[in-house]
Amino acid sequence: MEAAKMASPKSAPKDAQVMAQILKDMGITEYEPRVINQMLEFAYRYVTTILEDAKIYSSHAKKSSVDADDVRLAIQCRTDQSFTSPPPRDFLLDIARQKNQTPLPLIKPYSGPRLPPDRYCLTAPNYRLKSLQKKVSSSAGRITVPRLSVGAVSSRPSTPTLATPTTPTVQNVLINPSLIGPKNILITTNMVSQNTPNEPNPLKRKHEDDDDYDNL
Amino acid sequence: QTLVAVLQFLRRSNLRESEEILRREARLLGDDLGAAALSPTAAGLLGAPGGDADSAVGEALLNRVTTAAAIAIGGSVSTVASSSPGVAAVPSLPPGKVGGGVVVEDQPDVSAVLSAYNQQGDPTLYEEYYSGLKHFIECSLDCHRAELSQLFYPLFVHMYLELVYNQHESEAKSFFERFHGDQECYYQDDLRVLSSLTKKEHMKGNETMLDFRTSKFVLRISRDSYQLLKRHLQEKQNNQIWNIVQEHLYIDIFDGMPRSKQQIDAMVGSLAGEAKREANKAKVFFGLLKEPEFDVPLDDEDEEGENEEGKPKKKKPKKDSVGSKSKKQDPNAPPQNRIPLPELKDSDKLDKVMNMKEAARRVRLGPECLPSICFYTFLNAYQGLTAVDITDDSSMIVGGFADSTVRVWSVTPKKLRSVKTAADLSLIDKESDDVLERIMDEKTASELKILYGHSGPVYGTSFSPDRNYLLSCSEDGTVRLWSLQTFTCLVGYKGHNYPVWDTQFSPYGYYFVSGGHDRVARLWATDHYQPLRIFAGHLADVTCTRFHPNSNYIATGSADRTVRLWDVLNGNCVRIFTGHKGPIHSLAFSPNGRFLATGATDGRVLLWDIGHGLMVGELKGHTDTIYALRFSRDGEILASGSMDNTVRLWDAVKAFEDLETDDFTTATGHINLPENSQELLLGTYMTKSTPVVHLHFTRRNLLLAAGAYSSQ
Repeated sequence: MEAAKMASPKSAPKDAQVMAQILKDMGITEYEPRVINQMLEFAYRYVTTILEDAKIYSSHAKKSSVDADDVRLAIQCRTDQSFTSPPPRDFLLDIARQKNQTPLPLIKPYSGPRLPPDRYCLTAPNYRLKSLQKKVSSSAGRITVPRLSVGAVSSRPSTPTLATPTTPTVQNVLINPSLIGPKNILITTNMVSQNTPNEPNPLKRKHEDDDDYDNL
Repeated sequence: QTLVAVLQFLRRSNLRESEEILRREARLLGDDLGAAALSPTAAGLLGAPGGDADSAVGEALLNRVTTAAAIAIGGSVSTVASSSPGVAAVPSLPPGKVGGGVVVEDQPDVSAVLSAYNQQGDPTLYEEYYSGLKHFIECSLDCHRAELSQLFYPLFVHMYLELVYNQHESEAKSFFERFHGDQECYYQDDLRVLSSLTKKEHMKGNETMLDFRTSKFVLRISRDSYQLLKRHLQEKQNNQIWNIVQEHLYIDIFDGMPRSKQQIDAMVGSLAGEAKREANKAKVFFGLLKEPEFDVPLDDEDEEGENEEGKPKKKKPKKDSVGSKSKKQDPNAPPQNRIPLPELKDSDKLDKVMNMKEAARRVRLGPECLPSICFYTFLNAYQGLTAVDITDDSSMIVGGFADSTVRVWSVTPKKLRSVKTAADLSLIDKESDDVLERIMDEKTASELKILYGHSGPVYGTSFSPDRNYLLSCSEDGTVRLWSLQTFTCLVGYKGHNYPVWDTQFSPYGYYFVSGGHDRVARLWATDHYQPLRIFAGHLADVTCTRFHPNSNYIATGSADRTVRLWDVLNGNCVRIFTGHKGPIHSLAFSPNGRFLATGATDGRVLLWDIGHGLMVGELKGHTDTIYALRFSRDGEILASGSMDNTVRLWDAVKAFEDLETDDFTTATGHINLPENSQELLLGTYMTKSTPVVHLHFTRRNLLLAAGAYSSQ
């Protein structure tokens, strides 16, 4: 038993030899040595999946043992499921004919970046800002967190806001620049200069904000 | 007995297809219903369709089965079956086949197609038929032998598959053993695949073999040879081979001398034989589109450049082109508005001006003046570099990798910057002159940008001509559009559900083409989430797609060893070029639009005249797959890069002069390729051990090459 497990470097186990022979028959001469292992694993997994499916089918048909029909059915179902092959040629020719009949659409001039409608693009933000009710903290001169509004087209004149209990302040989350699409989403900020002069830069996150950020 | 009645009813109502299906199932049920009852019926039925005129019609019907008809067939079979209570097993089979939504279309289709292999003749005699034909051909006159030997391969394959389909496994095996060595060497790969198909079930899964069945193998034979063959086959008692020839081969007869072995060898090799003459008859507008006029205010130096477009000097550049001699309508050029193209923006016009300035300083290349080659080696890529592209002005290089990343490098000292965030954008002065500089965020300047998004190796990349966008296509079946201003992904185009092997932007931007494992190429526009055109026709994966310089045509190279030229306007295939003996991996259009160069795994570069549809040259020299082909900016030199770690330069001017493109050649396919590869080869440049993956001529005709260093 142990001798069989401890294969000497020269003689690979029989399965590996068979796999190497298959590769050779199919004309593949150059491959990394790990390919054989991967192919063996794949073959093992495939066969066990098929046999398990076949067992299920034969028990469903109330047969005492698995026979060739069960295996055939198992193979067929798995092929349709995992190893789908591209559509047949006449089907492709048919849809190609349909598609090619419509004339090429005219190009609208001066329309900026030409992209599909937004729902087909990946340009929407993948984050959502949660509005927080900040506790009334002792620091009345608390930093004004810049208010972010998504969807506004132009910058509005902004009024300085100090943190008050009634104003929902929004987290100054790191705005991922990659999510800013070319068209619609503009983020307006309150002008920094209107804050009290001893305020730190509002773009700098404060330590307290980190806890809230984690809770989002 | 019920089965007999059913079958006769089907025959009378002329439902040939369903009859075939039922007969096939009947064979499977042979055990249940008793051999005695069935065999006279089977023999009677088989005798009737086999070998008479009816079968040709039947096969024609089968070959033209459409999806809708297939569903109807499936439906009719089940209704017929339900009307025959005695046949218990039959109803179980059609529901089995109708199970699964998409499979409905597939299964009756496939079985109808496959049942074209009626059991004609005794399986054990197949070897005799084949060797009989072989003997005849070998004894025929020399001049005919080469042409008739073309028959061997398709006949061999069809007969073998027929044996396999009818489950005569041992006969099929011995047939294969005996005759596969006789076939030409360039079919060996196909034969290897064939040797793995030993059972009927294997055939169903192999799409390429199914396509091989449904499409007719085209042979071009001279009239004399054809008469000889026909006479011989019709004389024989059993017309087995004649039947196969009629059903599965299309013989394109031409009047003239039979072709020699060399001529035939140059043209054959594809999966479906050669191209029919009608396939290459359509008119192709291979000329270039006119360059548009400029009305951008230019300084003196640029006015000089513009005047070089052929207008007389000392005149102000006019908007209309009437009167300039170089602006006559090229009869071979497509009308300007044949396909809608995006209009030029100001930035594009500036680009064009830059282009012309550089063109003025371009080095004239030729056999005496070879380009310098600058090689960009990708280190530490561990064989993961799968795609490379360089912008037209050679400022950026992109690499697609097997780890699904796309990396963009700046080749010039100017670093890559992304646009500022919206927060900062609102702060800048929009009216200043250098607003385009100000929108760039200095903090993000770097030489390298990595783009994440794909979920599989990236097999193709392409920059847009205005350098704003980058396309990448990958094994995950999507084509992604990336913005090079924000270095983020904008759109994922889903359509191919299988690996996409190549993609390219149109030379004018806006359109792009992609080709993949599903054997079609698709034309997309950046603002449509679905393809605009689908180019279907190849029998195997589309491995390479390129636009013609006038953006009206697309060339696709495929693993079925053909190159097809498609018209963007209506999706028709206007040219089929056969001759390569391996899957095609590189295509290059000459800058004047008249010629196409193709490179494949067989190590040859073939040159094609698009207008006439003929092969005009063959460049031998490489010993491994050619992955990169590029013409120099004025078309004087063709550079080819291959897996054998070399870049070779060929004299394109010489290769394309003195072409014999008369009607005789087009009609008969008699091409006489001069054996001048050695003369045309201008230089071979070896790299240390870096296969060449991409080639690019800069605007001044410096050759840039790219590849990944591989240590073995």
